[in-house]
Amino acid sequence: MSAAASDRDEDRALAGEYALGLLEPDAAAAFEARLLTDPDLRAMHAEWAQDFASLTDDFPEVTPPARIKAAVHDLLFPTPPRRNALMGWVLGGLMAAGLAVFLLMNSGLLGPSGPGAPTLTAMITAEDGAMVVAAAFDDTDGTLNLERTAGAAVPGRSLELWLIAGDNAPVSLGVLTDGVHTSVTVPDALRGQMAGGTLAITDEPLGGSPTGGPTGAVMATGVVTPV
Amino acid sequence: MTQAEIDSLIARIATGERQAFTALYDRTSAKLFGICLRVLNDRGEAEDVLQEVFVKVWHNAKRYRAGGFSPMTWLITIARNAAIDRLRKRRSKKEDGGQDGLDAVERLADPAPGPEALVVASDERAQLALCLDTLEPARAEAVQRAYLEGETYDELARRFAVPLNTMRTWLRRSLLKLKECLSQ
Repeated sequence: MSAAASDRDEDRALAGEYALGLLEPDAAAAFEARLLTDPDLRAMHAEWAQDFASLTDDFPEVTPPARIKAAVHDLLFPTPPRRNALMGWVLGGLMAAGLAVFLLMNSGLLGPSGPGAPTLTAMITAEDGAMVVAAAFDDTDGTLNLERTAGAAVPGRSLELWLIAGDNAPVSLGVLTDGVHTSVTVPDALRGQMAGGTLAITDEPLGGSPTGGPTGAVMATGVVTPV
Repeated sequence: MTQAEIDSLIARIATGERQAFTALYDRTSAKLFGICLRVLNDRGEAEDVLQEVFVKVWHNAKRYRAGGFSPMTWLITIARNAAIDRLRKRRSKKEDGGQDGLDAVERLADPAPGPEALVVASDERAQLALCLDTLEPARAEAVQRAYLEGETYDELARRFAVPLNTMRTWLRRSLLKLKECLSQ
C-alpha cells in the first residue's frame, strides 16, 4: 500500500472514530481543527455521519408533547421584559386601567349596580398588550365573565385561566373558549379568595393542563379589584 | 417531506425566519424524539434533550452548509450527539456515586434491545446494515454500541474483555472494512 493510500485509510478510520464519538478530547479537538481546512476530511466525516444515521432508520417516530414546542419557543423567542422600564410599567398600568374601564363599559359586563352586577373586576393583560382579557366577577352567584379582546390560543393549544390567591398555588378556573366570551362559575370555596387575587392565563395543551398546575408560558396576568 | 424541503427550511432558519423553524419542528420533531427516546430510554430526559436539539438547530443553522451533510443527517446527528452526551453524563454520575466496578459494569448493560434486534430485516435495509453483516458479530456490535449507546473505547474493551489497544485496533479495522463494503 502506498504512503498516500495508507494516510487516506488513517483519515477514513479517524473520521469514523470521530463520528462515533470515540476520540479522546485532545484528538477530537485536533480532528475538528483539521476539518476546518481539509475538504476531503470534511467529506469523509459527512459520509460516516450519513452511514451511521441510517442506524436510526427503523426507530419509530414518536410525537413529542406539545409543551416541548412551547418551551423551545419560550427559550428562543422570549417576550422582551419591561421590568427595568419603570415608567413603562406605570404608564402601562394606567393605560390598562383606563382600557379596562372602557372595555368593561363597552362589553356590557359593567351594568348599573344592583343585583347581578359585578362586584369585582380584573384586566388580565400581557405586558406587551398582545393579550387583553377583561374579567368581571359577581359574588352573589360566583359567575366570572370574561371578554377576550386581544390575543388568542396558539393553534392546537388552549388558554387556561388560573386564580392565584396570596402565596397559594394557582388553581384552575377552566379553559377559555375559542370565542370572545367565556363564562365560568367559580367554586364556592374559592369565591372568598377572588378579591385581591391574581388571575393568570397560561398556554396549555389542548383541553388544558394535564397536571392540574400550569405547565406552559404565562400569557397574561391581572389583579382582581373591587368595582 | 423531501430532503430538498428540509434543506430549504434550514436555509431559511439560518436567516432567522421563525416560521421556517416552526415548520421544521412540526415535520421532524417526531423522528428526532424517537431517536432521543431510543438512546435514553427515559421520557423526561428525552424531552429535555429534544428541547436542546431544537435550540441547537436554531443557533447552528448558519453552519449547516459548511459541513456538507444532507439535511436529515445533520438533524439526526445533532439529536444523536445530544442524546449520547446526556447518556454519558448519566453514566458518569452513577460511577461517581461510588458504585464498585462490577456494579458499574452491570449498570452499563444495555436496557434496550440488543444489536441483533437493532438491525431489523426489511426490504429496504440500509446499506450500512448490510455491510455490518459482513463483519464478525462482536465487531458489528461494537460499532453499533458506540453509535447508539455512546460506549467509549474503555467501556467497549471492558465489555468484550480485551485490552484497550486491541479494542481500538479492532474497531478501526472494522471501520475500514465497512467503508470498503459501502463503496462497492
